[in-house]
Amino acid sequence: MKKSFLDFIFRNRLPVTLFVVVASFTLTYYGSRAERDGIGYTPDQPIAYSHKLHAGDMQIDCKYCHVGVEKSRHAMVPAVATCMNCHTVSRKDRPEIIKLAEYYRDGKPLQWKRIHKVPDYAYFNHSVHVNKGIDCTACHGEITHMEKVGQMNSLTMGSCLNCHRDAHAKFPELKDKIKPGPEYCSACHR
Amino acid sequence: MSDIKSDNTENMNSNHLEPNYWRSFEAFYNDPAVIEAKGHEFKEGVTDDFSSTGMSNLSRRKFLALLGASAAIAGTACTDYRDKGEIVPYNIKPEEITVGKPNFYASTCTACANACGVLIKTREGRPIKVDGNPDHPVNKGKICAKGQANILNLYDPERLKNPLIGRNSTFNEISWKDADSDIINALASANGKEIVILTNPISSPTTLKVIEDFKSKYPTTKVYSYSLFNDDIKNAAWQKTFGSGNYPLVKWNEAKVIVALESDFLGVDGNKIENSRLFAEGRDVETKSFNRLYCIDSTLTITGNNADYRLRLRPEAQLEFVMSLMSELSGKGALNLSVNTAGYSLSGFATKYNLKKKVLDQLVKDLASNKGKAIVDAGSSLSENVHIAVNLLNEALGNSAMFRSDSAVTTLVENSSVQEIESLIQKMNDGNVAAAIHFDSNPVYHLAQDFGYKKALSKVGLVVTLSERENETTSLSKYVLPINHNFESWGDAKTRTGVISLQQPVIAPLNSTRQKESILLTWINGKSDSFNETLYHEYLMKYWETSIYPTLNSKLDFKRFWFGSLHDGIVLTNETVAASRTFNSGVTSLLSQSSTAKGFTLLIKENYNLADGSFSHNGWMHELPHPVSKMMWDNYAALSEKSCKDLGVKNNDVIEVKTGSRKISLPVFMQAGTADEVIIIESGFGRTNSGTVANDVGFNSNVLLSKSTDYSPWIYSGVEVTKTGDTYELASSQEHHAFDDPRIKDLHKIRNIIQEATVASYLKNPHIIKEKHHGELASVYDPHPYNDLKWGMAIDLNKCTGCGDCVVACDVENNIPVVGKDQVLKSREMQWLRIDRYYSGTADEPKVSIQPMLCQHCDQAPCENVCPVVATTHSPDGLNQMVYNRCVGTRYCSNNCPFKVRRFNFFNFRDHFRDSFQENPILALMHNPEVTVRSRGVMEKCTFCVQRISEGRADATHENRKLKGSDITTACQDSCGSNAIYFGDINDKESEFYKYRNHELGYYVLEELNIKPNVTYIAKLRNIHSEEA
Repeated sequence: MKKSFLDFIFRNRLPVTLFVVVASFTLTYYGSRAERDGIGYTPDQPIAYSHKLHAGDMQIDCKYCHVGVEKSRHAMVPAVATCMNCHTVSRKDRPEIIKLAEYYRDGKPLQWKRIHKVPDYAYFNHSVHVNKGIDCTACHGEITHMEKVGQMNSLTMGSCLNCHRDAHAKFPELKDKIKPGPEYCSACHR
Repeated sequence: MSDIKSDNTENMNSNHLEPNYWRSFEAFYNDPAVIEAKGHEFKEGVTDDFSSTGMSNLSRRKFLALLGASAAIAGTACTDYRDKGEIVPYNIKPEEITVGKPNFYASTCTACANACGVLIKTREGRPIKVDGNPDHPVNKGKICAKGQANILNLYDPERLKNPLIGRNSTFNEISWKDADSDIINALASANGKEIVILTNPISSPTTLKVIEDFKSKYPTTKVYSYSLFNDDIKNAAWQKTFGSGNYPLVKWNEAKVIVALESDFLGVDGNKIENSRLFAEGRDVETKSFNRLYCIDSTLTITGNNADYRLRLRPEAQLEFVMSLMSELSGKGALNLSVNTAGYSLSGFATKYNLKKKVLDQLVKDLASNKGKAIVDAGSSLSENVHIAVNLLNEALGNSAMFRSDSAVTTLVENSSVQEIESLIQKMNDGNVAAAIHFDSNPVYHLAQDFGYKKALSKVGLVVTLSERENETTSLSKYVLPINHNFESWGDAKTRTGVISLQQPVIAPLNSTRQKESILLTWINGKSDSFNETLYHEYLMKYWETSIYPTLNSKLDFKRFWFGSLHDGIVLTNETVAASRTFNSGVTSLLSQSSTAKGFTLLIKENYNLADGSFSHNGWMHELPHPVSKMMWDNYAALSEKSCKDLGVKNNDVIEVKTGSRKISLPVFMQAGTADEVIIIESGFGRTNSGTVANDVGFNSNVLLSKSTDYSPWIYSGVEVTKTGDTYELASSQEHHAFDDPRIKDLHKIRNIIQEATVASYLKNPHIIKEKHHGELASVYDPHPYNDLKWGMAIDLNKCTGCGDCVVACDVENNIPVVGKDQVLKSREMQWLRIDRYYSGTADEPKVSIQPMLCQHCDQAPCENVCPVVATTHSPDGLNQMVYNRCVGTRYCSNNCPFKVRRFNFFNFRDHFRDSFQENPILALMHNPEVTVRSRGVMEKCTFCVQRISEGRADATHENRKLKGSDITTACQDSCGSNAIYFGDINDKESEFYKYRNHELGYYVLEELNIKPNVTYIAKLRNIHSEEA
């Protein structure tokens, strides 16, 4: 009697329990991976700005607004005044533009929801990547198709290294221009 | 320290050919405690001071309940876990700002009276770093530790934020408008009584004009100027000797023989940045030309540390010394003038003060054979007759060629004499002073107590103090008005002929403070609402347009001239130095001998870090080890070994020092190389009512000052010293992070941490250092090929003066926290760069060797092999990388580092120091945003300023060029006044750095370990006579 009970525990109960635990952990781990990496995070913004309209349909250069991207490690979110370069004359009657003009008039800064973020101890630099000819879409996705911007790719160290190690496969068009990216620690951490 | 053994015959033998290096008396006498301590990575008690009584008394049940509750709250509250915060761009972006890129503004440093030009680095409008302005003709791109640490003064959380009014010794906030109208009313009703403006020396022509305007509005105004340390005696002696002018600047770079008498020209006398640069130019291994420095002084100083020959002499004997020297020189027929030196003889002098005859003979020989190429320089603290005698000696040797004619020190306002201050206090006591305005000065702390200034202040109706922070004087004031910091201020400064330095603000005032000049301008206008932010700015421009610009004959219109000048930070004028001087031969009559000194002599010396106390609230300056004693967070009475024995005291024993009726009690520090029966106490400590950091640190030496002095204001004879029986623990870093293990006899000699030679032996045999090398050593590792860029550093020990400016530059650049005295005592100071100071020879006449020690970025770094989590690794450009986010704090790396350059965060020191003083959010603005702020439990160390390398690489990519070694400078290199540090690409054969990397005098520390360091040290050459080598 006793023996068969133990037998039951070791032969059936334990493997089943272990299987359930491991399987549910694995499923949850990989299933939630994208969400935990922030992929698909598409917050509402204080102004319903459309990248599809501006960057896609009207083909305004990214660098018109993101002025730091070639010079600095920050691409920079444009100042309200940059929007007003056009919107002092164009589409003044639209509700979102009226909101925008209020910010400008009151001298209030716009608090955009942050979408892409690498940890504080990683010092990502936009300018080196852009100046090497890597397109914005490589990390940010097809921004020209996005009505509302969300995170498309994982920004973990693994995804950085994916490209850095395999740059020529990832960017065949830049094969002659770029070397594989650095893999040593202080390239990003300092 | 308790059981010093009195015999160490080998060490005592000064003729020993290989010097035996030591750092402290404990090590010198092989104190077993020190020897034992060197075997351990950390100081005793550092890792086991967690007692159960010191822990929280929260019960386990309660802890679990709290844990559960907080988990529940966290679980329900964190619904928006994906939230990453906001990005808040500018509403209108300032044109010059690119987020992530620094802007640089030229300005003027007002941390001391030298007013050097600075280049302030700002990020997104916040000043984060100060460097010298490379265009400034005086400091040429370098700035001292005080100038560097000035950034902490700006963000100091304890700066005054609003005007205060004092009633019955409590202070309440008051609006500027009310304060101004009260003061204007009081000033207007002065009724012929005097209005006093008490200030530190003024170097700004426009400030002077404001004060002139103030005088014409309030005609009873009188201005008094004082400074705790000054060159007044030196300049007065010069005027007596030559009729006019200030003591000229010296061509330290051209002088072949320099004799410094109690002069610390590389430390606190004159502009140390300029002096260090010029002095180091005269000790160049490239041109193989070396000056020879003799120091005759009472204790070791930065200058004494760099001396080729040094003699100990009490300060009162300096006149006798100079006269005896002249007597000997004139006996040899070496003097151009006849000086009556009857009664003086050098050999008699040597016997009387027990000086080495041989050194004196060499000095006489050198002076006689280098006529016109030598300079004798007396320290500012010496009495007038010494200075006159030195002027006479220089004149007689024809050394006036060593005085500079291209530039001279200018004084805008003479300091008030003792008599003037006395009569001021008399007037105050008589009730004849209507108002006392302390114009950014702190006389209650600085003025000698027997002036009775504090008491006299209570008789003055209106006491107004303009100050950045609370201090001894604000507590006795009716109105305390907060003023702008250096970096928030407009201004100009003229301290030299031919150049005016401009000061511009780089940040809007952080608090409700005002520029001190505009406060006066408001009072001049007589209306409390006449203030506006641009008041002084406009005044400054107006004054320049009407008074200075017309004299410059500029071809530009004023606006263009002004903005161009602001950009450059300097304006060069065509003012010349008055060349002619006539020697007044009657001056020899002033050379009477004062009474011979007996008993103890007290010398009050300016502290290198705190100066007159203007930096005593600055943690970085407290934690910069004293360049000689390596003391932090305290001052002390420095005594010689013999004096200590005579008094029966040892280190940390408290003595009472009494001169006249003035006395203080403070601990003893046995300082090698101090003259017997001399006590040296440094200033700037013992502050009261001056904030969390400054209060009650050290001992106030100013209470020993007296208005009546028979020698000089800083030297007092016949001081009584008594042992009190108390002890006080001093925190010196001189035995911290030692890596010369004396348990194995003579190992440090074999290890060649310090390698030295003499100039003569080097000229005879250029390979004198290389010969000692081991040659190629076998290694178990295959060498990693570094074919591309590889970073390296070279430090020229001939140029390094050991001042420590680089340490503070590193602190600022790399966000190094202040740890506090309790942690320093446990050897937990966090600086990535330390200046090792070794003595060799005897305790009384030690030779000093200086060695900046930082991470050597070894090719085969021992730290890397032992890290269990691979948090420290090597990069392909030769850097030893430290990854904080990977480090788990095993400290194995530090244990395995042969140079002891790794620093562990035992606490979050920002939180730990003075009840979270550094956690104040405002101090976060000061941090370099390119460098991680490390928290508890991680190891850190010098990174070769990897953030600068990354930035340089990004810029090179932007400009589509290859990064070159010369593109990058490290923070320590930028700050080094004597240009001793070189940084660059080891493989770049064209570079300047390559020469030093592969110099025949170059060596690696601990070369025999074959870990291939990337820091090359250029061996120090002592310029001593060949027969002594």
